[in-house]
Amino acid sequence: MPVKTAQSSFRDRTQEFQSIAERLKKSVSSGPGPNGPSSSSKTEEQRSGVALQSEFNRRASKIGFGIHQTSQKLAKLAKLAKRTSVFDDPTMEIQELTAVIKQDITALNSAVVDLQFLSNSRNEGVVSSDTTSHSTTVFKEVLTMRTENLKVHENRRQLFSSTASKETVNPFVRQRPLATRSAANASAAPPPPWANGSSSSSSSKQGDGESQPLLQQNQQQQQQMVPLQDTYMQSRAEALQNVESTIHELSSIFNQLATLVSQQGEIAIRIAREFYFYVL
Amino acid sequence: MALNLRQKQTECIIRMLNLNQPVNPSGTANEEVYKILIYDKFCQNILSPLIHVKDLRKHGVTLYFLIDKDRKPVHDVPAVYFVQASQVNIQRIVADASRSLYDSFHLNFSSSIPRPLLEDLASGTLNSNSNSLDRISKVHDQYLEFVTLEDDLFSLAQKSCYVQLNDPSAGDREIEEIVERIVSGLFCVLATLAVVPIIRCPRGGPAEMVAMALDQRLRDHLLSKNNLFTEGGGFVSSFQRPILCLFDRNFELSVGIQHDFRYRPLVHDVLGLRLNRLNVQGEKGGMKSFELDSSDPFWVTNGSLEFPEVAVEIENQLNKYKKDVDEVNKRTGGSGGAEFDGTDLMGNTKHLMNAVNSLPELTERKQVIDKHTNIATVLLGEIKERSLDSYAKKENDMMVRGGVDRAELLAVLKGKGTKMDKLRFAIIYLISSETINQLEVESVEAALKESEVDTTAFQYVKKIKSLNVSLASANSASRSNIVDWAEKLYGQSISAVTAGVKNLLSSDQQLVMTRTVEALMEGKPNPEIDSYLLLDPRAPKSGAGTSGSHLKGPFKEAIVFMIGGGNYVEYGSLQELAKRQQPVKHVIYGTTEILTGVEFVEQLTVLGKKMGLGSVGAPSGSH
Repeated sequence: MPVKTAQSSFRDRTQEFQSIAERLKKSVSSGPGPNGPSSSSKTEEQRSGVALQSEFNRRASKIGFGIHQTSQKLAKLAKLAKRTSVFDDPTMEIQELTAVIKQDITALNSAVVDLQFLSNSRNEGVVSSDTTSHSTTVFKEVLTMRTENLKVHENRRQLFSSTASKETVNPFVRQRPLATRSAANASAAPPPPWANGSSSSSSSKQGDGESQPLLQQNQQQQQQMVPLQDTYMQSRAEALQNVESTIHELSSIFNQLATLVSQQGEIAIRIAREFYFYVL
Repeated sequence: MALNLRQKQTECIIRMLNLNQPVNPSGTANEEVYKILIYDKFCQNILSPLIHVKDLRKHGVTLYFLIDKDRKPVHDVPAVYFVQASQVNIQRIVADASRSLYDSFHLNFSSSIPRPLLEDLASGTLNSNSNSLDRISKVHDQYLEFVTLEDDLFSLAQKSCYVQLNDPSAGDREIEEIVERIVSGLFCVLATLAVVPIIRCPRGGPAEMVAMALDQRLRDHLLSKNNLFTEGGGFVSSFQRPILCLFDRNFELSVGIQHDFRYRPLVHDVLGLRLNRLNVQGEKGGMKSFELDSSDPFWVTNGSLEFPEVAVEIENQLNKYKKDVDEVNKRTGGSGGAEFDGTDLMGNTKHLMNAVNSLPELTERKQVIDKHTNIATVLLGEIKERSLDSYAKKENDMMVRGGVDRAELLAVLKGKGTKMDKLRFAIIYLISSETINQLEVESVEAALKESEVDTTAFQYVKKIKSLNVSLASANSASRSNIVDWAEKLYGQSISAVTAGVKNLLSSDQQLVMTRTVEALMEGKPNPEIDSYLLLDPRAPKSGAGTSGSHLKGPFKEAIVFMIGGGNYVEYGSLQELAKRQQPVKHVIYGTTEILTGVEFVEQLTVLGKKMGLGSVGAPSGSH
């Protein structure tokens, strides 16, 4: 339906044109006879020529298609990477997909190189200036698309690795204090009944009772020393991580700056302006 | 679902660039095909305000050429041609095909290629030596022969329509040809919008001729079952149809000549905005080129403000920008010898991230501000030099009051301003005064001559006005040749000029055309518009079938078309009308060409010369 509305304002008159040509052809071919067959053989020749010529074009569009497919896979990968549900761990899938994408990219790379080779070998012949400028633009296009996709890939990987590191590191960071704390609690919690019991039992012996809590306190202090050291280590680790993530962020900032700079390129050029230069 | 002409035309062009294959939702073709785009000058004008080189690349266009440029063969690519259907272009295409410049040819004609030209194309490609016929893979009619400048502003880019329509020596055939051209341009617009409007226009003059011909054209087209208007909206379009209001420049002559003091008209009239592109003197001397269209938020929001307000607004924007920059600097700038603290570091990079993210937005804003500062500076220079503010104000006063103090009048003519400014002022004086005061007119003429102004245009308007007066007073006046054509073309419309002046007295500053459009859209009985022609191309053709109530509105959407040249003053006035309505209505404004006051007065001068008036050398012995 949307296609239909989009088509509403133009008319395909190819058929009409062809029928006119057909009619004219008949009236022409009835005139000079020998011209017919030779022209048809010529046509065939030219056709094969056209087919050969479009080899470059075909490959270029194939690469374009490959890039498109790869980027779709990347999108899937991104979706997978974003899924952080505990029950459904897609790590395997992600790894497989990453491998596939890597393969794709190397294949694309070699295809691009091939294409360059092909066009170079063909360019040995006589090539018009327009042709070269056309193919350089095609290359530029393909290359920018590829770099963009690579960039996207990089981003996804970062996303994945950062979530992965969070998953692996966070439990480490969070659970350790929890564990130590619980251990501390566990070691600290049992004593009270025991201490209470002992104190109640030793309530009659007041002197001993005073020294015992002291000893207990000592013990507790010693126990607390271990977590303290632990938290210190943790804070060091955290600081390191902070530094790391800062560097990451900085690199992304630089990336963004780079794209900012490159975007200045073709954005504002208009045909008319270009034409203005031609005239000059 | 408002009609958006710019968007529609852009869609059509993108579809064409993708070899007329369906385009997927993201706006690119499913399969990337690299191709070459060839266009002629006219189509370049269509393309350049709508699509940038970046977009061309997105749709696989690697090279783009003018058709008359010397081009080299590029073997393995298809070429997309977008040209007007003209003899020259057809010959050029045949030559290209026979030289086998490209692999295949996708021909797109801006309007519809006539059968004879199609046959020329066929025989031409057939007769050439190689198999050029096989290279022509597609032939399309695009119906895109108009230049869209804004979402709701278009121009048919047909030069000197006013001269041609009012030429005293023009025969019926010439007039018919011009009307036909205008009709086919309008037909393209309607086909692109996929609407069949209800047509209204004042009786008499070119507007009626165009209305009748367009009605016929639409009727003929709608007869065929598979037409351009059925595939689109179907019932939707017939449920809420727009109204097409046709006017002739003579309906309100003054708008074409008057000075205006709003930003957009000033930029156009004084600095020569063309195809949304403006070339002005940069701050450091060199020429700078700016683009002014809907991608410029400042232009969109402030285009209809008066110049001093615009200057204030630029100042405001600049201050706001400075404040935002300071804010960013404050947050990111190293806060002195801060301790290397983990949390602080995190915060800092966060700020830095935010800063980088806000940078593009800020630089964009800065660019816009710089651009308009530059434009406003140049504009201010011109305004001071020519004291355009007083021209605008006094002309407006004249139109409102229907006259001016004689001393003031002569003072202006002897004061600052270019010759053209003075001439325009004098013509506005003529139009605004209800009766011609012979003595006063002569002194005006003398003042003009003193400043060495070519008074041809002035005399032309005077002549038309006096003709009109004599026509009104005595219809049975001797019918010389001139009176004959004048009646044919002006019988109604010039009297509308004088009528319009009287009306202006009551309403404040609204153009007659705008007020008429408002009345037509409302569709309530109104003596001013009851006499207007009403045509419905969809209705069965029966003489008195024009009384259907659904044809009288109210309408939500209107297309207003000015035959013989329009400008940004009218455009702005209609936009105000559309915004003022509750609920907001939608008005598309179009014209045969967009003219500055100077350009229009030049056309008047040409007409004056054709009537044998003016010519500075000859003494005005008639008076």
